[in-house]
Amino acid sequence: MVELLLIPAQWEGEIKFTQELKNYLEENNVKSIALFASVQFTELDNLKKEIENLGIKINTTKAKRTNAPLQILGCDSYEDSFEDPIIETSDLILYIGDGMFHPKALLLAQINKEKPKPVLILNPIENKIEEIDQGNIKDQLIRTKRNLRMFVSAQTLGILVTVKPGQQYLNAAKNLKEKLEKEGKKAYIFIDDTINLNQLENYPFIDCWINTACPRIGQDDIVNIPQPMINLREANDPIKALEDLEK
Amino acid sequence: MYKLELDKVIEEIKNRNSKQVLIQLPDGMKQKSNKVIDEIEKSTQAKAFIWFGGCFGACDLPLGTEILKIDLVIQWGHNKFNKEQW
Repeated sequence: MVELLLIPAQWEGEIKFTQELKNYLEENNVKSIALFASVQFTELDNLKKEIENLGIKINTTKAKRTNAPLQILGCDSYEDSFEDPIIETSDLILYIGDGMFHPKALLLAQINKEKPKPVLILNPIENKIEEIDQGNIKDQLIRTKRNLRMFVSAQTLGILVTVKPGQQYLNAAKNLKEKLEKEGKKAYIFIDDTINLNQLENYPFIDCWINTACPRIGQDDIVNIPQPMINLREANDPIKALEDLEK
Repeated sequence: MYKLELDKVIEEIKNRNSKQVLIQLPDGMKQKSNKVIDEIEKSTQAKAFIWFGGCFGACDLPLGTEILKIDLVIQWGHNKFNKEQW
């Protein structure tokens, strides 16, 4: 039996409440914040105090897959990824961390919202802030709608399954295959470790793909491939998924 | 700088009496892998190896390591996560 040790690799430096952040919060008259961070940056007591001193309410929740307070994972990218709806009840989402993978999850989680909230990124390594909004996931939205329409009319489906233990959903894939075939379609299950999308072109008989591995493959990577692909959760009720996006 | 927690790593390897250790780091930390290996080899009796490929999360652990008689995988940059059920 192979044992496992996880080291979160906390950031050693100070997470500063910058003047730039203060100015942004004041200029935008922010009264409440939904606060998230990647696991390296979850020790935020000082920053929280500074924000609260401005009279701003900080809302926190637990993302369902996480185990540290405030933490968000890249796969927390759906509306129901959080225990409490703090995104709806806050003026602004503040994300502490670097890179775009996690803050984009917070935009994707609002992809079907009429009035999505912007995400302000505080990068503690560079001490910079950056605002991102639904414009940053416009291509994903367009492609997701197109893919859902193509899925509905597809006759031959390819279901992708990874052997990575934390992302492996073979049983769900088998159930989906059965469901699709009851509907008169034909489905094949494909298995790999890291899903290499370059392989898709080798299977031209597939009309549409269903990803059961990391959901960000079916949310982000779809903009880089011509083949239509949707995620497992949309495959169960594609019409509702499409209606939600076209509200 | 991110905390590598090498003291903890060394202690864990010794406590577990691990013989062959595989380290796995996310892309932004891979340039530290030689430092980690050097420290493990200097401070323990374990043989240590570097996972060459991806490290997207705690959901993404190396497979097939039993064949190589790896007895401890150490992954940086992530913590325990709860797998969604479908």
